[in-house]
Amino acid sequence: MELNTIKDAFDRVSKKQKLSCSNTQEVIDQIDQEIEQALQKIQSASNPDSLLDHRPILVELKTKLKDMAPVTQLESTQKDLNSALSKYPKLLEKSFNPDISKAYRNIEFDTHTVNQIIASHFYRQGLFEIGDLFVQEANEPESVAVIKSQFQDMYQILEAMKSQNLEPALKWATSNADRLKHNGSDLLMKLHSLQFVEILQKGSRDEALNYARTYLSPFASNHMDAIQKLVVCILWAGRLDRSPYYQLLSPTNWDKVVEELTRQFCKILGQSYESPLAVTVVAGAQGLPPLLKFMNVMAGKKHEWQTMKQLPVPVELDKEYQFHSIFVCPVSKEQSTEENPPMLMSCGHVLCKQSIMKMSKNSTKSFKCPYCPSDIDAIRCRMLYF
Amino acid sequence: MEMNSLPNGNSTPSTPPVPTTTSPPSSKVGQLAESLRLEHQFLRVPFEHYKKTIRANHRVVEKEMSSVISGVSDAADRDDLSSDEAVNHLNSLVSRLQGLKRKLEEGSRVEHLQAQRCRARLDHLESADAENLSEWNNMRLKRILVDYMLRMSYYDTAVKLAESSNIQDLVDIDVFQEAKKVIDALQNKEVAPALAWCADNKSRLKKSRSKFEFQLRLQEFVELVRAENNLRAITYARKYLAPWGSTHMKELQRVFVTLAYKSTTECATYKVLFEPTQWDHLVDLFKQEFCKLYGMTLEPLLNIYLQAGLSALKTPYCYEDDCTKEDPLSQESFRKLALPLPYSKQHHSKLVCYITKELMDTENPPQVLPNGYVYSTKALEEMAKKNDGKITCPRTGFVCNYKDLVKAYIS
Repeated sequence: MELNTIKDAFDRVSKKQKLSCSNTQEVIDQIDQEIEQALQKIQSASNPDSLLDHRPILVELKTKLKDMAPVTQLESTQKDLNSALSKYPKLLEKSFNPDISKAYRNIEFDTHTVNQIIASHFYRQGLFEIGDLFVQEANEPESVAVIKSQFQDMYQILEAMKSQNLEPALKWATSNADRLKHNGSDLLMKLHSLQFVEILQKGSRDEALNYARTYLSPFASNHMDAIQKLVVCILWAGRLDRSPYYQLLSPTNWDKVVEELTRQFCKILGQSYESPLAVTVVAGAQGLPPLLKFMNVMAGKKHEWQTMKQLPVPVELDKEYQFHSIFVCPVSKEQSTEENPPMLMSCGHVLCKQSIMKMSKNSTKSFKCPYCPSDIDAIRCRMLYF
Repeated sequence: MEMNSLPNGNSTPSTPPVPTTTSPPSSKVGQLAESLRLEHQFLRVPFEHYKKTIRANHRVVEKEMSSVISGVSDAADRDDLSSDEAVNHLNSLVSRLQGLKRKLEEGSRVEHLQAQRCRARLDHLESADAENLSEWNNMRLKRILVDYMLRMSYYDTAVKLAESSNIQDLVDIDVFQEAKKVIDALQNKEVAPALAWCADNKSRLKKSRSKFEFQLRLQEFVELVRAENNLRAITYARKYLAPWGSTHMKELQRVFVTLAYKSTTECATYKVLFEPTQWDHLVDLFKQEFCKLYGMTLEPLLNIYLQAGLSALKTPYCYEDDCTKEDPLSQESFRKLALPLPYSKQHHSKLVCYITKELMDTENPPQVLPNGYVYSTKALEEMAKKNDGKITCPRTGFVCNYKDLVKAYIS
């Protein structure tokens, strides 16, 4: 799609509009002038003795205005404008999908569920005021109160971190240390490192050393390198910016920890890191184009679309939206199921069970792998679990 | 622009948990162009608004101008006009023209603003590229949410969301203000604003063979019958219902029969006409006509995007207990919405490593444990490195050596 052609087309419309506007103004000014002139004439020629002096002036004015034909004068520019006004929507219809609801099934979504999803989305994005207003306006009962308070906790921690206050973050991470460890996250150690650097920046060596002893040493087994580096920094206490380790002061360190904290906080809450509403809408934007294409081709199958159990066309989503393994048998083109699982052949290629059964005539004879010259014995094929 | 920085008070910080800014591959550019083609309504609605303003302004000019001209000819045709009267008359015409000029200026100011809005939207579409995609997507979600709020009549949230994100030019709040007046009135059982709206858009409603006005008239008639104002009802029907007879005779007859039954009737065919839900029906009907007129989808955009997205994401595995939390369909509310929707379809295998959740492809090929479980090379290498070459299957506890693994070739 060429956005530039659309922009040009719009410029034409707005040019015509401006032209029509100035034209109208001109015509009105002309009428105005004629009337003013007539007025002056009447007033200057006005002779108290004669009652009829003004009449020829009025008649002259009338003829002048009639000759001017202001309404018809405007008609031609107006016609141009109208044609531009009706052309532009046609161009839009041609360049865009004029009706994306063609790919819509007539299924009423439960408003309450949708509203709950939206409210949760606002809260988890930290938009608490908007969330509250929405809950109130949509008259949703407090079904989202829990998620609100959970994310309030998280944003309190994050907000404190913005003003270099790590206390709430450390408190949370310490009390969830076991679960963080279970998730394989070294968030606690990272938070302590940030705190250590903060103390060093203030120039207090003793305090820094004490802090390292108490809080960093327990991580020695897994993070020796990092801790060595940190402790060496004590030599540059108060002037870390001029040390070889000045990178420790980079704000990106904070950003990274903020991201990790958000990730872990969501995980421990049992929530996703990305907003599920945002993910679904992006998936929708990726899924709609192929669906609409299908609908345009299959205009007659509108009815079938309403009842299909599976989408008629494949929708390619971005990598990050692939949450599950899907195996499609390269021979039968069918998705694997529990009854028809993927099987590994001795050559390393994978087919679905039914395809193997077919090719081996129900395991009665060997067959050639469709992808390499190997001879395959159906009995030796192994079921796979992705 | 930081999109989420809202004036939300002290307790409500504004870092959103969506900092994914890895630069996407070029395949996304084609996909982006495709998803831009979904934005018809985004450009169409402000344009229809613009067009409407232009036409209305022009009508005013035409009307005023003709009446000034006929004012002149009237004066010229009269022979009993004194000179003073003539002067007064012309003066009044001049001040009328002045008034028209002011209106014209005001009108062209509005036209200019609306043209700017149309342009802002084109610019916004143009601004989407692979680098700012996640920010752009975030903005699109907000636009879609505002659209939803407006259609559901959650106007305050709509306004606040638009203001706080500074996207007023990208949403149609002012267009919906016009709808709000009509809807509010209909909910109060008043038809006047709705009828005025019909008159305003007469030619276009006629073109689309809308029977909204007819429905409004029927309702007014029923209200007269309800009030047992039968004579007035008949006069009303003569004046406003009869013209629809040629096209909608059946409905007209049915409603007219209510005269015989009164509002207390138990006859189901006619009882329903007296129900208060008829007014809700009128509201729905109005919303449909309104959306059609502006080139909007009849459904909220959110519902359309959600349906397509849920279908694209829906697999039989989403409903299993160990579904990853990152999948929206792991949540009860999303599962509920997706229930009546079709499953996604794939033409090619897409394998996701159970351990790392990363795609297993030629760069990170799948490997098979002797027990048939499959994981990505990356995950298995990492595990082997940490455990002296030993591999433990996380789902079955089966233990084997890294060298016992075989590669699987997925085509």
